[in-house]
Amino acid sequence: MASYYPEPTNIWESIEYSSLGTSIAESLWAFPTLETIHVIALVTVLGTVFVMDLRMLGVASVGRAISKISTDTLKWTWIGFVVAAITGTLLFTSKASTYMVNPYFIVKMVLIVLAGLNMLYFHFVTWKNVDQWDLTDTPKAAKVAAVLSLSFWIVVVFCGRAIGFTLGIYY
Amino acid sequence: MFDFLFAVTEWLRTTALLDFAFWITETPLSLFMVENFWLVPAAQVVHILAIAAAFGATLMLTLRTMGASGTGSTIEETSARYVPWIWWGLLVIVISGLLMLTAEPLRNMINAVFWFKMIFLVGTILITLGFQKRIRAAAAGAGATWVAGGGTKTTAFAILVLWCLIMACGRWIAYVPV
Repeated sequence: MASYYPEPTNIWESIEYSSLGTSIAESLWAFPTLETIHVIALVTVLGTVFVMDLRMLGVASVGRAISKISTDTLKWTWIGFVVAAITGTLLFTSKASTYMVNPYFIVKMVLIVLAGLNMLYFHFVTWKNVDQWDLTDTPKAAKVAAVLSLSFWIVVVFCGRAIGFTLGIYY
Repeated sequence: MFDFLFAVTEWLRTTALLDFAFWITETPLSLFMVENFWLVPAAQVVHILAIAAAFGATLMLTLRTMGASGTGSTIEETSARYVPWIWWGLLVIVISGLLMLTAEPLRNMINAVFWFKMIFLVGTILITLGFQKRIRAAAAGAGATWVAGGGTKTTAFAILVLWCLIMACGRWIAYVPV
């Protein structure tokens, strides 16, 4: 099959010039459609994370047990995250080498990992004695986790938008 | 579909909207938004964060109405928690959206998808107003054990679908031929 693409020189170009990457890049509708699903998924993540973080900070939902707020939101946070990750990966394949040289993309990926680690630490360490503060004031560790979570996710959104505005700049 | 949207956009180009959009590009606020590179992305970030807050709150209220989440709290409690976030979120969405519109009036106002988005938005706001009023009245009348009927659950779900449609339009504004 004749290829219009150059020989890849690194792994990111191999991804970009793969049949999956080029199909998404060449399609009129694939990229915007994936982007649309990505946006709906990420606002689901963010919206449910806001609900949990604001409860951890004692700003909202204070009348409802924090374990219940966690049950209300966590499933939807994960569903949203999985969909955002899948669509994000597909978007990435279409311009892999362009994204890999974009500092906002790299910072975004690092912050998503940090947000994940923050969440893991909260759910596996801070959460251990939740029965002691389920309906009372949350401990300092929970409040710190909430502030970190909000900060990470807000900057993730900023980086996501910044990537779109700086695509032609770094390569 | 693309042909239809293109035809609507061509028609928009023949209306007074064209002169109005050009007039906006000359206003100080529009020039200010365009001349400062980070203002448009910043407005978009605020727009997305506010959508997250309002859509997340809508999702929680919908799930509670459907009995899929938030059980143990009454409809009154759930409404009191989430309804203000839906409307304050929408206010921020509209303000940040107006700033984006001011920065790029031609790209938006001479664009069929933008106007479909506005129609869906107004529809969603009206349906949401009726829905919120109805579930609070029904729950207040029937007490804490009130369970929504099929029609109410369908409306709750339809509101979520409409939000997704609005977001889809928001993304496609950037991609349709204008």
